[in-house]
Amino acid sequence: MTQAVDTTRVLGPGEFYYKETFGPGTVCRGAVLLECEWDGGIVESGALMGVIFRSGDFRGGTFWGGVFLGGTWTDGVWESGFDHAGRYRPRTDHP
Amino acid sequence: MHGPRIVVASPHRYPDLARLWYRGVARGLAPALRRAGLDVEVVVFRDAHADEFDPAWFPGAVLEAPGPGVRDFLEFYDAALALDADYLFLLDADLFFVDPEWPVSWLPRFDQENVAAVSFLRRTQEPGVYALLCRTAAYRELPRPVFAPAYEDLEDERNTVNRQPGDVAARRLRERGREILYAEPAEAEERIADFHGTTVIRASREVFGHLMDGPGFEGLVSRKRYFAMGAYDNALLGSLYQSVFGEPFAPGPGGEPLGGSVTAEAVRRELEQVRDRKVKEELEDYFLRSDRSILRLAAIEGIDLPLPDLRPQGWRRA
Repeated sequence: MTQAVDTTRVLGPGEFYYKETFGPGTVCRGAVLLECEWDGGIVESGALMGVIFRSGDFRGGTFWGGVFLGGTWTDGVWESGFDHAGRYRPRTDHP
Repeated sequence: MHGPRIVVASPHRYPDLARLWYRGVARGLAPALRRAGLDVEVVVFRDAHADEFDPAWFPGAVLEAPGPGVRDFLEFYDAALALDADYLFLLDADLFFVDPEWPVSWLPRFDQENVAAVSFLRRTQEPGVYALLCRTAAYRELPRPVFAPAYEDLEDERNTVNRQPGDVAARRLRERGREILYAEPAEAEERIADFHGTTVIRASREVFGHLMDGPGFEGLVSRKRYFAMGAYDNALLGSLYQSVFGEPFAPGPGGEPLGGSVTAEAVRRELEQVRDRKVKEELEDYFLRSDRSILRLAAIEGIDLPLPDLRPQGWRRA
């Protein structure tokens, strides 16, 4: 019998990451990411400041001052940032 | 008969800093501009906490707040450009003219038709919007949004450029043959008291500080130079604010001074963790500059301000 291996990494409350890269299989659930790269995975809650969001699903939390290059915006607080064209999008004007 | 109209516009997230800023403008810059024959209006944009800005702190000012088309402070710059004025003077929330006659002395330069703006303080090669006196007619010719920041060449990572607010406008003005004048940095140094990152660190504490424990957030001071500068400068501004108004600055949830930024004790503790010699030296230089700035503002108030003890042992002091 084969046992499924859970490869999901959860970034939880109280955790802080600076200039790190996260790929698929990562879930942000309350952590703070500063100037990181997000390339896959799901953001459920927490805060992303100055983050390059390449792909993944943003479902909750705060996005502030980063670049949303790709991926899906489902829900959350858009404080400010830039879209894939480099255009500034002000508060609430999420991609 | 009215003279040319000028709007002095400044976005603020925190009412206490806005109160200190407006005190300087109302006593210094605005009267100096009026003496030069200008019809002056001061517009304070409340980027957040709008209901905490006590109108009694801003006599004579217009208090604006976010709304449709003006969703945040960066959109406010364009909204201010649309106001009925011949000149728009954009000022940072933590920038103070020590010598208010100095910007007034530049007004005759606008007699040259091709002069679009004067930048009194820049932190890059571009003029920025820290203290930018604009001829509104020239800026209104540009595509909107005029002042918005942008990323260029995102598809080519090695050459991606982050244009700060006002940078794209400056380039477009140059392409049209317009000129932006720049004050000499040494001249500005003597006439402007400016502080860095004071709002960013407070907004950061507000937006995500609750997701980190207290020491975790304060640790940003030793990890990020910009946070160290903001925390240090808030402590200085807090000392002045307490002396002038008798109230705490950047209070935390329980009203403790600097609890909404980083306390003086925590600043000192975190600076001890700075090991990189180059970063330490840069911060030492910066702190000395900030000390001079706050003492000049205190002198205007007639206050002999004792500086808070923010440096660890072994750090250069004045």
